[in-house]
Amino acid sequence: MNRLTSTLSNLKANNQKALVAYLVAGDPDMDSTLDLMHLFVESGVDVIEIGVPFTDPIAEGPTIQRAHDRALKNNISLKMILSLVDEFRKSNKETPIVLMGYLNTFISHIELVQATGKDGIDSILVVDIPGELNLESYGISNPNINTISLISPTTSENRVELIANNSTGFIYYVNLRGVTGSSNLNISEIENNIGRIKKYTDLPTLAGFGIKTAEDAKTLAKFSDGIIIGSSIVEMINEASTTKEFDRIGKYIKDMKIAIS
Amino acid sequence: MTSNKFNYPDKEGFFGEFGGKFVPETLMYALEELENTYSKLKDDKDFIKEFYSDLSAFVGRPSPLYFAQRLTDKYKSGNIWLKREDLNHTGAHKINNTVGQILLAKHMGKKRIIAETGAGQHGVATATVAARLGLECHIYMGSEDVRRQSLNVYRIKLLGAQVHAVDSGSATLKDALNEAMRDWVSNIDDTYYIIGSVTGPHPYPMIVRDFNSVVGQEVIKQSNDLFNKMPDAIVACVGGGSNAMGIFYPFIEVQETRLIGVEAGGKGVSTGEHAAPLNDGTPGVLHGARSYLMQDEAGQVKDTKSVSAGLDYPGVGPEHSWLKDIGRAEYVAVSDDDALKAFHEVTELEGIMPALETAHAFAYLEPLMKELDSSSNVVINVSGRGDKDINTVAEIDGIEF
Repeated sequence: MNRLTSTLSNLKANNQKALVAYLVAGDPDMDSTLDLMHLFVESGVDVIEIGVPFTDPIAEGPTIQRAHDRALKNNISLKMILSLVDEFRKSNKETPIVLMGYLNTFISHIELVQATGKDGIDSILVVDIPGELNLESYGISNPNINTISLISPTTSENRVELIANNSTGFIYYVNLRGVTGSSNLNISEIENNIGRIKKYTDLPTLAGFGIKTAEDAKTLAKFSDGIIIGSSIVEMINEASTTKEFDRIGKYIKDMKIAIS
Repeated sequence: MTSNKFNYPDKEGFFGEFGGKFVPETLMYALEELENTYSKLKDDKDFIKEFYSDLSAFVGRPSPLYFAQRLTDKYKSGNIWLKREDLNHTGAHKINNTVGQILLAKHMGKKRIIAETGAGQHGVATATVAARLGLECHIYMGSEDVRRQSLNVYRIKLLGAQVHAVDSGSATLKDALNEAMRDWVSNIDDTYYIIGSVTGPHPYPMIVRDFNSVVGQEVIKQSNDLFNKMPDAIVACVGGGSNAMGIFYPFIEVQETRLIGVEAGGKGVSTGEHAAPLNDGTPGVLHGARSYLMQDEAGQVKDTKSVSAGLDYPGVGPEHSWLKDIGRAEYVAVSDDDALKAFHEVTELEGIMPALETAHAFAYLEPLMKELDSSSNVVINVSGRGDKDINTVAEIDGIEF
């Protein structure tokens, strides 16, 4: 079974919520990214989401945009990210890894993604493909890799059904109308919409975008299968980019984990 | 004259293998809403009447097809005609599609208008139509373009719109587009995004083309009236490609007319420092559509280089990519130096100062006229006037005010 699928179903069986943490590969450098991935796991992260840097990340707010820019200054490519994952897997074969990025970088590396084996990445989330399409539409059909689709507050009922049927990893519910790192969560709308998604699918539905505090995490965990945190971690990574002292991030993640437990 | 055979985009928004809707899920609803509105209104008699009446009374259409006597005398190998989009209200072809799009926004009840701009012409055109309807308007512009197009920035502000300088990436048109899309995702319920070219996700390439094809429709009629046949060639500059698409589209089935798009060759296509994806790019996905794109092997979008802010874009409208691949249109490139030379030459010979974008089309006359005989008729789409570029040209010529 796919590592992501089994991790999420084990959590569910134990009545636990998933904590997904995001970082951008190569920000501030690849060695730090590897260290941070291990720190994530030690601090309680269930799934690691790696942002694949792209020159034109239209769904990202300023914090993650700047992280993409910094990574691109280091010439980070998808090829290097897959090598990073191989390195990580030498000491961790349990934690699922999701790549999140933009279609153009994935279709520029189709053969590499196709060649990925069982102990590599587990899932891909392409931000800019319509949810009714999946990776196979673009020539990527690797049994080790499943598709994560986004559903947003503006997704119509008939699209919710289409997308839910088409997703194989989990449903990523976008909490708000906006880019990553925005604020103002509308809790009752999120609750309603996640409820609507659950009418159509048994896939885990995780909530992401705009989650900053342990309080946010606690509230959203009540009616979702887990939460995704990105911008606040990326901001902390940037603040520690010269000292490389990432302890604060470990503490932040532990607090989040407690909040959703 | 409209085509039965050439019928693109398809239902999914594709021109062959180009186009589509590659956007974050949040935007799908807005694209569907726009598509539904447009498909209802495009054949609606009252809507068409309103659009053409605005084009006539507010824009000043039809624009003349003008015989360029001294340019014709210079080349002595065919008659050169100028489609005078520079005479439109606000000084460029951009107003044609913004007049149409603001009517769609009005019918959709949108209260807030956003747009991206490169040279500033689309920003001016958008701020103009928004002012006319009293709608809040925000224009995104790369900070590099804000600098080189300061006159247009001030015009946009005078029209009551807010200009947001964009510092990310290369600080030019593509980054302005990224930022406009982020604004749209964040304000999707009350905001209409007036995309400025035949780029972006479906249905934009179709809508902008349809509104701007009034240019080509007029040329068909004017050619019949003025020289009693169809032109042998039509030449237009291509950045995103809306001025070219507007004049090409009604001619796609007119096989005797060569359609020639001129891209920005920057320092020369062979140097890699240019903005000519149809000449030196590969298919990729940017800003919601699959099209030819300037990108590296890792799929990252390359920075572009052009003296003309309006052509300084790494992508191109998907329909142009399709016309290139099926061989219906030719796409060439002209360097900054040749475009600047043409800018001066046309200004001196014809008393018409073309935009630097348009100057690229004029520069291609040099090689083109050698292939033609004296009975031929060539139409240059004068996409805009050059007043906005005076600072740029003066700087290059070493003149300080």
